[in-house]
Amino acid sequence: MDLIRNFCIIAHIDHGKSTLADRFIHLCGGLTDREMSEQVLDSMDIERERGITIKAQSVSLVYTAGDGRIYQLNLIDTPGHVDFSYEVSRSLAACEGALLVVDAAQGVEAQSVANCYTAIDQGLEVVPVINKIDLPAAEPDRVCQEIEEVIGIDASGALETSAKTGAGVREVLEAIVTRIPPPAGDPAGPLQALIIDSWFDNYVGVVSLVRIVNGELPLRSKVRVMSTGRSHQVDRVGCFTPKMTDRDVLRSGEVGYMIAGIKDIDGAPVGDTLTLEQRPCSQPLPGFEQVQPRVFAGLFPVSSDDYEDFREALRKLKLNDSALHYEPETSGALGFGFRCGFLGMLHMEIVQERLEREYGLELITTAPTVVYEVLATNGELSKIDNPSNLPPPDKREEIREPIITASILVPQAHVGAVIKLCIEKRGVQKKMQYLGAQVALDYELPLSEVVLDFFDRLKSVSRGFASFDYQFERHQVAPLVRLDILINGEKVDALSLIIHRETAYRRGRELVEKMREIVPRQMFDVAIQAAIGGQIIARSTVKALRKNVTAKCYGGDVSRKRKLLEKQKAGKRRMKQVGSVEIPQEAFLAVLQVEKK
Amino acid sequence: MLTAPPLGLYVHLPWCVSKCPYCDFNSHALRGRLPESAYRDALLADLDEELAAVPERTISSIFFGGGTPSLFSPSTIGRLIESVESAGRLAESAEITLEANPGTVEHASFADLRAAGINRVSLGVQSFDAEQLSVLGRIHGPDEALRAIEEVHRAGIPRLNADLMFGLPGQTPEGALRDVEIALDAGVRHLSHYQLTLEPNTLFYSDPPELPDDERIWAALQRCQAALAGAGLEQYEVSAYAVPGQECVHNLNYWTFGDYLGVGAGAHGKLTYPAEDRIVRRSKKRHPAAYMPGPLRTEESRLIDRPRRVFEFMLNALRLKQGFPESQFEERTGVMQQSVQPGFDLAIERGLLESRAGTDWRPTDLGYRFLNDLQAIFLPLEGEERG
Repeated sequence: MDLIRNFCIIAHIDHGKSTLADRFIHLCGGLTDREMSEQVLDSMDIERERGITIKAQSVSLVYTAGDGRIYQLNLIDTPGHVDFSYEVSRSLAACEGALLVVDAAQGVEAQSVANCYTAIDQGLEVVPVINKIDLPAAEPDRVCQEIEEVIGIDASGALETSAKTGAGVREVLEAIVTRIPPPAGDPAGPLQALIIDSWFDNYVGVVSLVRIVNGELPLRSKVRVMSTGRSHQVDRVGCFTPKMTDRDVLRSGEVGYMIAGIKDIDGAPVGDTLTLEQRPCSQPLPGFEQVQPRVFAGLFPVSSDDYEDFREALRKLKLNDSALHYEPETSGALGFGFRCGFLGMLHMEIVQERLEREYGLELITTAPTVVYEVLATNGELSKIDNPSNLPPPDKREEIREPIITASILVPQAHVGAVIKLCIEKRGVQKKMQYLGAQVALDYELPLSEVVLDFFDRLKSVSRGFASFDYQFERHQVAPLVRLDILINGEKVDALSLIIHRETAYRRGRELVEKMREIVPRQMFDVAIQAAIGGQIIARSTVKALRKNVTAKCYGGDVSRKRKLLEKQKAGKRRMKQVGSVEIPQEAFLAVLQVEKK
Repeated sequence: MLTAPPLGLYVHLPWCVSKCPYCDFNSHALRGRLPESAYRDALLADLDEELAAVPERTISSIFFGGGTPSLFSPSTIGRLIESVESAGRLAESAEITLEANPGTVEHASFADLRAAGINRVSLGVQSFDAEQLSVLGRIHGPDEALRAIEEVHRAGIPRLNADLMFGLPGQTPEGALRDVEIALDAGVRHLSHYQLTLEPNTLFYSDPPELPDDERIWAALQRCQAALAGAGLEQYEVSAYAVPGQECVHNLNYWTFGDYLGVGAGAHGKLTYPAEDRIVRRSKKRHPAAYMPGPLRTEESRLIDRPRRVFEFMLNALRLKQGFPESQFEERTGVMQQSVQPGFDLAIERGLLESRAGTDWRPTDLGYRFLNDLQAIFLPLEGEERG
């Protein structure tokens, strides 16, 4: 075990984590040059396209250190986006140390600060690494000072590297060996293995990434999942090098995969403990905190025939993504679907994209909403994650909205713009502190103002330099109303929103206007109205079409005309019928477009 | 139930002097000499076979369509008519139409065509505006169009149709009205009035011209229709207007789901066999080079099942202003009207269809304006069809 080091990399998006990981793999000969495709760790299409890491991954490296000994270095990847911070704590649980990678030009970002604190809390050794020293704008000394001021750890031993050129990479590997402690644990004790992650593979069933804490996990042993009590024969164990490489046994301190013919996707829950059937341990390891979804939206299949496929797809996604929640929802406008809970907007977009890409589903998504608390006149407190479930005004005492504390780090030059944005989003300043070239701001903000576009706006007003992280604080009473959209007098439940009274009128007008652009002209005038309670606050009309175009007929050939009509009919099938009005799918996301203007 | 309807004959002559940028018909720009005699022989052989397949039925109308049939000599046209006549299969006073494009009848006169048996001419005028004609790729000018109308009249051909298009690139409602007025002044008593549509596989589709918007097109149509009504031309089909008695017999047969033989490259035919309760569609090989040598000229033969009969009947019959009697629906489709009641109910509910005396059906004004929506109601459902 002395020759094992388990570590992760804490870094902000774009600070060079993936490039650095590639350098490690290359240096340790994990892949031949030919096999070395760019940034092997981000293996999902979506991850590579967006340049982000969603799922924890691991890679075992064989490193011959300066002391002449051969070490097994296990790198456990961590997600870099605020939506996925819960995955970070899981990755950290498998490690004894962490590299804090900071861009030599940009300095410390809020996300890394939060993750770094989590690492320190979990007792990890944090090794600061200043990356991108090859950049002309690199200021390693200033960044070192910033690490000390902002995070409060000793950065005197910070390593300077350029993952791009390869400079200083070997020194980082040496530091992993010398500064990060080897794993502790009892190699001879009963098996205790922590499931860090599980995912479903169509060919082999469930694959689990595990950290062996005590004992060992041999091939063909009978393993017991402690929470379910069910036993499984171990078919394969091994490490990612980063290729999947089978071994005969995983030993105490190691990180690797296990395949045990688990077909039921709930059979290997993340955070659970594995032990051996023959010689079980007495206690499970402490698991992970269950994360609560913060953003909810209705997802509906465009074709009602896809409902069962949709349910199955959600079930499978859920295995890889314990943060995803879903329950059946019925909408008057959109039919049968699911109310889904997400960690944030990025999480929602990714789930949506995976459902469409990997499962071939066509979905309509309603505007996302946060979870409100509603105190009814009879004293009952309920949680509302769907605007259509909001009790009528005379039945409710108050509505409470979720408030978060946003921790923002921004260079001094942009602090004014960021404050202005926070005020626009109904923020209340809690702290403002000058730290070197950066300013640390703490704001209390309603989560509903944050989920939609705060992150994008923050990036744009600070030219990409501001970073932020947030934490849920409490629910707080606010003057909120429900804004309804009516089409030809009929309320469309899937278009309702809960919003602040002050912005309701403006939003109502914008939304009605946007809908007028989206809804195609039909045989009759279509009235689009926005209403609060029974009161209409905005209206607009989609003027009726005058007529169809009838093309010439062709010497008795009906096939072309038939094809044309079939094509038109297929186009309409992708629309949703509300009363007699056909509404395109985009209409249900008009709310978002209005917001982003 | 199923009754044999009237029988028409369509003859396709697929060549044009040049291909127009809006046209997606089965037509080919003429390169070199027209293979007139080879094509004529193929048509005669094709016709013989077709007639043999429907013994004892007489032809109530013939339509020479194209392409530009007027590129063929009157003697070829005469031979084809004669072939039907000598078989004793041509009805007395059958309507015999020839499509002609102004500027293509120089080498022969309309009088010769009259002598060959043509008693109706359909002229592809499209517009009387010189600029529009050039945008549309037509080879004629306004004067040639007027001259052609005059020649048809002078030749004593009793019936004449002019094709006009509206909604042309940059066309104002006034421009569209002017075209109609010129046609009326020239003595046109049957008009086919089509909106220009951009069809796939045309030059206009790949490089679309800017067309007038919905409102302008609507205004153009309103004004044209008023002028036509004022001149006594009644709209009897969605795009056809005629002085009563001048309606096109051949087209009315399509629109009432009648039978027809299709002779020539790419021609479509439809035949009803009441005894076997079958309706069959047949089409010929599209390309003249494949069609001419024979002996096998049929491209596809297809049995039309009941859901499809209903759809095809409605597709045609709803184009007619007066609609159709229930009895005609049942005789021509072999389907009881009650068995498709849900479609009728939906159309009525949406205000697109109405009945007179509970037995005669016709599109409402709304249904006539939104004909595609009305027809689409009767599309066969997926999986409902066989083969």
